[in-house]
Amino acid sequence: MNSIIIDGLSFSLPLFIIAIGGIYSERSGITNLALEGLLGFGAFTGGLTAAIIYQFTAIGGTASMYIALFAALIGGMVYAMLHALLCIRFKANQVISGVVINILATALTAFLTNQINASLFGKASNRFVLEVSPRFSIPLLSEIPVLGAFFTSIYPFEIVILAVALIMWYILEKTPYGLRLRAAGDNPQAVDAAGVNVEMIRFSAVMVSGAMSGLGGMCFAYSISSNVSPSIFSGYGYLSIAAFIFGNWKIGPTFWACILFGFARSAGYSLVNVLALPSAYSDLVLTLPYIITVILLLFVSKANKAPKSLGEVYDKGKR
Amino acid sequence: MADDIVVLDHITKRFPRIVANDDISLSIKKGEIYALLGENGAGKSTLMSVLFGLYEPDEGRIFIRGKEVKITSPREASALNIGMVHQHFKLVSDQSVTENIILGIEPTVKKLGLFSKIDIKGARERIKKLSADFGLDVDPDAKIEDLPVSARQRVEILKMLYRDAEILIFDEPTAVLTPQEIESLLSVIKSLRDGGKTIVLITHKLDEIKKVADRCAILCRGKLVGVYDVDSISTQEMASLMVGYEYSDEVNKEEYTGGESILEVNNITLYNQDKVKVVDNVSFSVHKGEIVSIAGVAGNGQVELADVIAGMLTPSSGTIIYKGNDITDKTIRERTEAKIAYIPEDRQDVGLLLDYDLSVNLALKSYYHEPYCSKGILNPSEFRKNGEMLIKQYDIRSSEGCSTIVRSMSGGNQQKAIIAREISLDADLYIFVQPTRGLDVGAIKNIQERIIALRESGKAVLLISLELEEIMNLSDTIIVMYNGRIQAVKKRSEVTANEIGYYMMGAKHEA
Repeated sequence: MNSIIIDGLSFSLPLFIIAIGGIYSERSGITNLALEGLLGFGAFTGGLTAAIIYQFTAIGGTASMYIALFAALIGGMVYAMLHALLCIRFKANQVISGVVINILATALTAFLTNQINASLFGKASNRFVLEVSPRFSIPLLSEIPVLGAFFTSIYPFEIVILAVALIMWYILEKTPYGLRLRAAGDNPQAVDAAGVNVEMIRFSAVMVSGAMSGLGGMCFAYSISSNVSPSIFSGYGYLSIAAFIFGNWKIGPTFWACILFGFARSAGYSLVNVLALPSAYSDLVLTLPYIITVILLLFVSKANKAPKSLGEVYDKGKR
Repeated sequence: MADDIVVLDHITKRFPRIVANDDISLSIKKGEIYALLGENGAGKSTLMSVLFGLYEPDEGRIFIRGKEVKITSPREASALNIGMVHQHFKLVSDQSVTENIILGIEPTVKKLGLFSKIDIKGARERIKKLSADFGLDVDPDAKIEDLPVSARQRVEILKMLYRDAEILIFDEPTAVLTPQEIESLLSVIKSLRDGGKTIVLITHKLDEIKKVADRCAILCRGKLVGVYDVDSISTQEMASLMVGYEYSDEVNKEEYTGGESILEVNNITLYNQDKVKVVDNVSFSVHKGEIVSIAGVAGNGQVELADVIAGMLTPSSGTIIYKGNDITDKTIRERTEAKIAYIPEDRQDVGLLLDYDLSVNLALKSYYHEPYCSKGILNPSEFRKNGEMLIKQYDIRSSEGCSTIVRSMSGGNQQKAIIAREISLDADLYIFVQPTRGLDVGAIKNIQERIIALRESGKAVLLISLELEEIMNLSDTIIVMYNGRIQAVKKRSEVTANEIGYYMMGAKHEA
């Protein structure tokens, strides 16, 4: 039971922060299928930073982890500007742009990782190995039966994610910027008429989605494998898209969708362990979140309401 | 001059094919209701867009409160206390009234001296006060998508007031409203004036001008015809000046003589999605050379009935016999092929492909036939030929002729395009649903004359209209619908407008 909660949380939370980025982008009116590529590129940047720190500096494990998380955030943000440029400045089809960015990220990071490993660190490898993230338990709280697991073996990034998520929620729901962003996804003409630059709003929202994806991607790298390798592209970006769609593009419900996915996954693993099934079954478990997605889609699609102008190029002249 | 708040001095604005405003000079006094009257495409909206900073004039100067200004964006207009309610509202549908009003100028408060946060509470109070001051009844917490059109319009007005607008421009504000809503809007406009605001009212409805305006400027084909005190000019004179020729609202037509039956509607009943009976056991017939009109207050099942006859809805029970054949289960195309023409109520959603050009739209019902299409390949030059002919014949005004994207055309000209397309089908039965809604008097008269001409040439016409005057002018037979049922069937010659009005209210029942 404990491992279901512990592993569930450490999977759900990175998913959640990536989904928040997606919400920012899509509530502003820009379809973002690029989350997969953004999280991968962000993790690549973070992994590279961690490798450089390990090789060339004396900075210790925990500090280097925070620096790597920050670098991943910046990397995702910069890479997201490509999506923003294509969709906003050049009015490209947003779906195609998203897909292209995903494919490009896979190829680019694989190539760069190999090249950098060979030239900078003098070894042939397709991955950046990370130092193992420390984990901690909160005294007293972690000793509560069952629920104590929520406070046991926590990755530091989980706290970072919760803090960032809270800030992101506040900005979206309570500040002028958030109001304008939400309005831009519904009726950009109204935003324009109010004297607000729609393109700036959307551009910044896509950058935010890149930053959140980068952060989330790096967290996955620490929690799942302690390295950044091509296996970072295993569909978590798409899963987070599914999560915020189930969450109706709202941060609160999206949180629960992420929790559901994370716990379904960790419960599946536990089941395989408890029943002592052959390891091939754990691959089957990996499909669990996606199967849930398909089933949920049957039920929630009807009640769902996407931002009204989602995916539409904003054209001032149009009435 | 001292109390002139807005002065437009020799404004000229040209578009590629048309001079929208030709050397127009106006001065508007502070605290008056100034009407801008003209047909669709006369240049009213363009002129006000110049004042609101949406277009830059090619020539001329603008003075606000005696100072010359250059207005290059709505933002600058807003800074000069100019506000505008557009024909198409600019509202965010999934947000509240308050959020919509403060968008772009959100007031903030500091939380814990650290985080700044939108001051929704303060904004809500101010909006409440403003709406009380000017008699605008709006709930600041309601979501836009839950509000009716008239309330959305009041939100747009509040938006201007919240921005301290002194000069309020209304672009055809009554086009989307019901008669009762129009009354209350006009009284709001009056109370705004009494509160010291200056109002510019763009319209082509003469009776509204008579009711509220102090002065009116009349535009015709881009030129200023003159500025008149509303008290000293009759609506008849205004109409003539506006259309540019002697106008008379009388329609001449021959006495109806009777002909063979074209359409028989038998016991049609229709339930809507919510299982409510919207059309209830309706039967009637339409003959050659006859105009049958269905009168009724909006929402009494007339439009649904027309959709059933046109094939857009399937009746729950009953049959439709057209020229002796049962067409109840026929597709829309089969009906078109059988020569039924349909001018739908919603011209933008049902009648046109807004993002396609005019020549395509004018051939929408025949594009798959020779000569438009031969051996499965479309022939663009035939589309053009047909388009150019109809544009000329029906005086459809557009900036680029056949290749004009229909979305960019004015509502009146969009309607003309639909009517041109349908009449050119040479059908035997014409169904018109609100053919003149939102059009100016010149266009209305033109369309009404065409309907009469169809009748003279022996066509059967079914007309559904909310305008009692139109029904009285055109019909041979009048059917009044109330609550989905036929309330009365009368010969035009045997009934007065008042009687029809009573039936429309459901007052008198006649089996």
